Order: sequence, then C-alpha cells, then structure tokens
Amino acid sequence: MAGKSGRTIAATPQTGLKQKLLSLEGALVIIFILINVFGRVLSPNYNLSNVMRESPRYLAEIFMLFGMGFILVLGDIDISVGSIVCLSATIGCLTSNAGLPMGLAILITLLTGLCCGMINGFIATRFTELPTMIVTLGTQIIFRGIAEVSLGSGGSASLKDYEGIGILRAKVGPIPLAFFLIIICAVIFVIVLSRTTFGRHLYAIGSSKTAAQYAGVEVQKIRFFCFTLIGFLAGICGLFILASTYGANTTTGQGFEMEVIAMCVFGGIATTGGKGNLVGAFIASLVIVCLRIALGQINMNTQLILVIIGAMLIISVLVPSFRQRFLTLKKK
Amino acid sequence: MAEDLILELKGITKIFPGVKALDNVQFQLRRGEIHALMGENGAGKSTFIKVITGVHAAEEGHMYLNGQEVHFKGTQDAGAAGIAAVYQIPTSYMELTVTENIFIGHEIMKNGIIQWREMNKKAEELLARLHANFKVTEEVGALTIAQQQMVEIAKALSTDAKIIILDEPTAALTANESEELYRIVDELHEQGVSVIFISHRMEDMYRLAQRVTVFRDSRYIDTFDVDKITDKDLIKAMVGREITDMYPKPKVQIGQEIFKIENFSRLGYFKDVSLSVRAGEIVGLTGLVGAGRTETFQCVCGIEKPDSGRVFMNGKEVRIRKPKDAMEAGIILLPEDRRRQGLIMSWSLCDNVTLPIIEKLSKNNFIDHKKEYELSRNYLESVDTKAVSIFDKASTLSGGNQQKVVVAKALAQDHMKVVVMDEPTKGVDVGAKAEIYGIMGELAQKGYGIILISSEMPEILGMSDRIYVMCQGRVTGCLDREEVTQEKILELAMDQSGREVS
Repeated sequence: MAGKSGRTIAATPQTGLKQKLLSLEGALVIIFILINVFGRVLSPNYNLSNVMRESPRYLAEIFMLFGMGFILVLGDIDISVGSIVCLSATIGCLTSNAGLPMGLAILITLLTGLCCGMINGFIATRFTELPTMIVTLGTQIIFRGIAEVSLGSGGSASLKDYEGIGILRAKVGPIPLAFFLIIICAVIFVIVLSRTTFGRHLYAIGSSKTAAQYAGVEVQKIRFFCFTLIGFLAGICGLFILASTYGANTTTGQGFEMEVIAMCVFGGIATTGGKGNLVGAFIASLVIVCLRIALGQINMNTQLILVIIGAMLIISVLVPSFRQRFLTLKKK
Repeated sequence: MAEDLILELKGITKIFPGVKALDNVQFQLRRGEIHALMGENGAGKSTFIKVITGVHAAEEGHMYLNGQEVHFKGTQDAGAAGIAAVYQIPTSYMELTVTENIFIGHEIMKNGIIQWREMNKKAEELLARLHANFKVTEEVGALTIAQQQMVEIAKALSTDAKIIILDEPTAALTANESEELYRIVDELHEQGVSVIFISHRMEDMYRLAQRVTVFRDSRYIDTFDVDKITDKDLIKAMVGREITDMYPKPKVQIGQEIFKIENFSRLGYFKDVSLSVRAGEIVGLTGLVGAGRTETFQCVCGIEKPDSGRVFMNGKEVRIRKPKDAMEAGIILLPEDRRRQGLIMSWSLCDNVTLPIIEKLSKNNFIDHKKEYELSRNYLESVDTKAVSIFDKASTLSGGNQQKVVVAKALAQDHMKVVVMDEPTKGVDVGAKAEIYGIMGELAQKGYGIILISSEMPEILGMSDRIYVMCQGRVTGCLDREEVTQEKILELAMDQSGREVS
C-alpha cells in the first residue's frame, strides 16, 4: 500500500559476502588464524594438547563473557564479577569441607553467584540514579570482603574432598568438558542476542532507555535479569576455578572483570551500550586466550603479555574510526 | 537611493557530496533590520546560516559586509567581524554559571588571571540590557530554556556583535516565553543590532520582522515586506503549492464514549483530572506549559506512577501499572520529545516502528524479519514518510518526517483505540504540519479517539471538537467547538487571581 503521493520506500536489506568479510568479525577470524600460525612458528610446544592443558582458567572466564556482553549492550557495566567468582568458589569450598555432599556444594556455589547477581540487579534497578559502575564497585569490595572474612586468617582454603568435583575436569580426548559447555553457551547466547525479541529489547535499552520505556520495553525487569544472569555465570566460573585449583584464596578471580570487559570491547561491543554482538566478542576472547597461551609457551614475562594485550585493545577500538575516516576519504 | 546594507550575499552555491545544499542564493540585510528567513526543513536555511558564520565555505558566490567583500575561513573570523549566532537548542555549559558561559572563550584576564569581579559586572550589564530577571552567579542548568537563550544572546552581545542570527529561537519556548523573546529582539533592534531569524512560526515573523526571505529546495524564492503579504502567499512561496486548508478536519460521526479518566492526581503535578473521549472525536488539551498536561498523560500511560486515578476503556476499568498495560488497553502515547522519548535516533526506521510490537512479529521469540520489513514499510508508506529505505537511520530525517515515523509506530499497534498526541507539530515545518493534521483527521474518521495536547492555539482551535483547559494542575474548563474562542481559552488557562502561572 503506497502513500498518497505514491512514493515508495525500499525494504530490501543490503548484505553481501564482501561486506561480511570486511566486517569486524571477519577481521577477528583472520587475526585468530594468524595468532595460531604465529604461535606454531614461535614455539613447537604450541599444539592442541598443550593449549588445552593451559586453557581451564581461561575457559572458566569465558562463561562470564556472554553475560558481560548482555550487560554492556544494555549500557551498563558489572565490575563485581571477579569478586563473585572469589566468593562463590570460597563458599563452595568451605561448604564442601564442612562435610556437605559435593552435589550440594556445587549447587550452593552456583546459588552464591546467583544471589550476588540479584543483589547487584536489585540495587541497580531500585536506585536507577546510581551509575552501575559505582554500584558494582561497591559490591566488588563487599563480595571480596565477605570472601576474605570467610577464609579467615590464612586467606586461603583447599578442598579436602577433590574426588567429587573431578567430574568438572573430565575430558574428551585432550579437550576439557568446559570447552564443550562454552560452545553450547556461545551458540545459545549469540542466537538470543541477535535473533530474539529479548535481544532486540537489550539493544533498545542500550540505545535509549527512555525511548525503550515509552515503547513498552520492561527496562528495569530486563536489567535485573541480566545482572542476575551474569552473577550466575560468575558462579559457574567460580565452580570451574575451584575444580581446576582445588581451592580458593583471597586473590581468586582478581582482575577477571577487566579481562572479560576487554574481550567484549576487543570484539566490538561498545561500553556506551546498544552496539556490537557476541560473535565478535567470542572470537575476540579466543584470540586473547590463544595469544596469552602462545606467549606463555615461549616463557614471556606475564606482565609483558599484559602490556601487549592492553595495546591491542586500544588499537582495536581505534580501528573502526580509522576505517570510517578511510571510507569518507574514498568517497571524496 | 542606495540601500544601507550591512550584509549582502550574492550567488552563493554550496555543494555537499551528492547534493547542492544552496543553489545561487542571494540575501540582503539592511542595517538595523529584523529579517526573517523562512522555508521548509531542508530548504537550505541552516546551511546558509553556516556560510554566513564561517562554518562552511561556499563553493561560489560573494559576501559583502558593510560593502566590503569578506571571506570567512572559520567561525572566529565571523565572530571578529561582529556576527554571532544563537542556536535553537542552547549550547551552554549547564554546570557553569551565567557569567562563565557568557565569557567562555574570551574571558577577561589580567596577567593570566581571570578577573571575576569585572566579568560579573559586565555580565550584569549585559543582562540588564536584556531586562533579564536572574543572577549572573546562577548555574545555567537551573534556568529555563528561555533564560538560557537570553544567556546565549548575552554571549553574542558580549563580543560586540552587530549582526545576531537566531536559529528557530521560539521552537522550544512557550507562548509567554516567546513574548519575552520578542521583547528582547525588539530591544536589540532599538539598540541598532541587525537580526536574522529563522522560524517556522508565522506568528514570530508577523510580530518581529520587517522583511522576510523565503528559500525552497536550496533556492532563493523571494523577499517580501512583511506588512504587504498574506499567510497564503507566504505558504505558497515556502511549500511551492497552495495549501487550501491548513486544518483539514473531516466531518465525522462522533460515536460512544470510549475512553475516560477519573480523578487523576499526583502530588505537585496535577490534581483531580477527569476527562473523556468519544469515538472519532479529537479532544484538545491545552494550557500553559507546566499546567500538568504532559505529566497527567505520562501517568495515564504508565510512564510515571500517579497517586490516584482510574482509567476506563469502553466503560470498563483497566489497570495500568506500566507502559505495556496502556498499550494493551489500546492507549497509545506519541510523546512530546520525539528525539528522546519517541524514537531511538541511532536505529533504522524499521526497527523503530516495530519495537513495540516485536513480540507479535516473532514465532517462539524468534524475530521474523520478512514480516518485520513488510509491515514497517506499509505503515511508513501509509503516512507518506519521505525516506529512501526502511533501513535509513531515524536521525537522518527531518523533524516532520520523524514525527511521521512516530505516527507509523503508533499505527502499527493494531489494537490502538485512543491516540494521545503530545505537541505533535513542535519543530515541524508548514508542509509536514498540514500532513500530520491530515493524518489526525483520517484517524478520527476511522473511529479512533484522539487527544491533542498542544500549546499552539491555531492548531487547538483548528482541529479539536472539544477543548479541555488546564491550569496549575487542574482542569479549569471544557469548551465545545462552537463556543470556543482564543480569549475564553486564555481566561481558563490563567490563574483565577489573574496572575500568570509559569
């Protein structure tokens, strides 16, 4: 049905193979391949079994990536997740040591993460005038504080019974169980964000909270859900950390929040909300993990690795604006 | 006799990649004159202003200031030559004081130290010249938009501007505030300052200008003496065709009452507001800004929480706790601030139109893109949106077309029964205005109930079947189309004691 003036509006999306290859995700895939070739050239020890042996700590972290992607798309941020990892691992370890069956201890670990997330979500949605950076900075200190108090003067706890949790360390060939779980999570979260109404609502909130509210999107409900979700994912991360280190201490999970945020940003998710997708973030996380393991194989100093990753992060954020400049120059 | 021209532009052509924004345009400003510049959105007015102020360099043409040819390389050059511009949306720094804002960039210094006392004194003098009633030490963010504009004008005067350009100065102002602005512009005029102002409001032009220049489609059309033209001629010059009826109100058989609110109250905003709408009826709701009109309907539509109040649809009470409840009941709000509340500016038209109904365009929560594209195109075309593709970003459209997208977004909610339009033609040019009124008429014909919240008297008088007037948070009267006059409305909109409520 055309308008009175008979004017028509085009409704065919323009997507081509070339555009896909030129996109950020395409570039990230190429970087991922390059990093692996580079790792192989650098050190003969850079092979599948070694990479997989080094991977559990990083894989545990990637669980939180998906939740953080949602949170950042919403235009929020959660910097308390590292502390949630610590607290849930601590509580899980202590309850198991107190004689609870492993199954129950695992459940309590996950619930701890969930509850921490709910607390963040409650404060963030009840007091909307507070920036979530500040809310989660507060709870970051509180959650780690509770963990430290629980750990007592020693500042660490080890699992007495590490038989039961062994199931989380199961492997299929050289590949750990966590890897498969992550692939499943990646598929689910990517689809939810890119194809469902829930995903569309996340982008709406991140682009304009006010306009989203006026359009009937339940802004605060969704924000609460996402904070709870990332808390739960931090609980899963805590569980896998517990399984791979057989214990928890006051520095467990320290800095994880920033690493996860960095992976998201590297993958093209803007911290201002409403932009980016999890495909990019997930590939970016694999790039960073592979790079860290590869550089670790040649015994590069850990701090130096961080310098390289930091520099990569800044460059990656600059690339789109350079690209824009290049494109406008070309048009002229 | 040669005219005393302070500014003259000849044969100005400005080309942006792909478009000719100005095509051989001319303009003459007499010394001490107030000159209106009118035309539809996209006619090239803003670009033209930017050429004068040195933001853009023209590809062709000459510009003469006091008879001397000048070439501005940047805004500094224009500022130094005594040309200053005040934009529609004040560009002040909200956290800084009035003095700081006025002297920003040209602070009075002695040995590198800012001379606060002297600056405050100078600022006070400038405000006194404008008869402003606020202190120079106040934070600009605490002032009203009208006062913020005064700060901008004072800023222009502080640089000793001889030519002041006002870009849609009254678009964000209420009727009273506009009066205030008229007074200021008159005073500038008396002080010998030459003024160019852009506006969509005929009122502004009749009230202030001696001459008016009209642009259309990037071209110069004509310059008229204001006291020798009629509305009709001017609109024809601007739109390029005759608009026979600005308010095309079709004959509609008004039906049963479909919507009613009772005793809506919210402390500090409004009290005991009750009103009703019948099928096919356009109900106007007017009053001074701050009378509580917008706030009332934000509560009715679930954006804010009222202290009390009941909503009835077709006689049955509906409970509205959140915006979604209102939408499901069939009450659709077209918010006042379309750029912030009505649309997501960084999104495509399609995504904007389908946002409220995205769940209905999905199967098991998966969005059906084909359906989405088809539906949004249909609704965007039905309101005659000027866009190339449904994937255009909302921010690329003109104000009038953005409003049409908001309307399309409302229409897409097919269970709509009542439409609340809050200032639907604010910042919209004449041609698009008439189109929006046309759409309103069609909606009424189709049996929807329409609530038109507006401060613009002509549109309230032209479109409404019944008019409710609010004052200080209360409904002070309801007038029928037959009995209504502008005086009666004003009487009801003013406080009983005769004092004006702001």
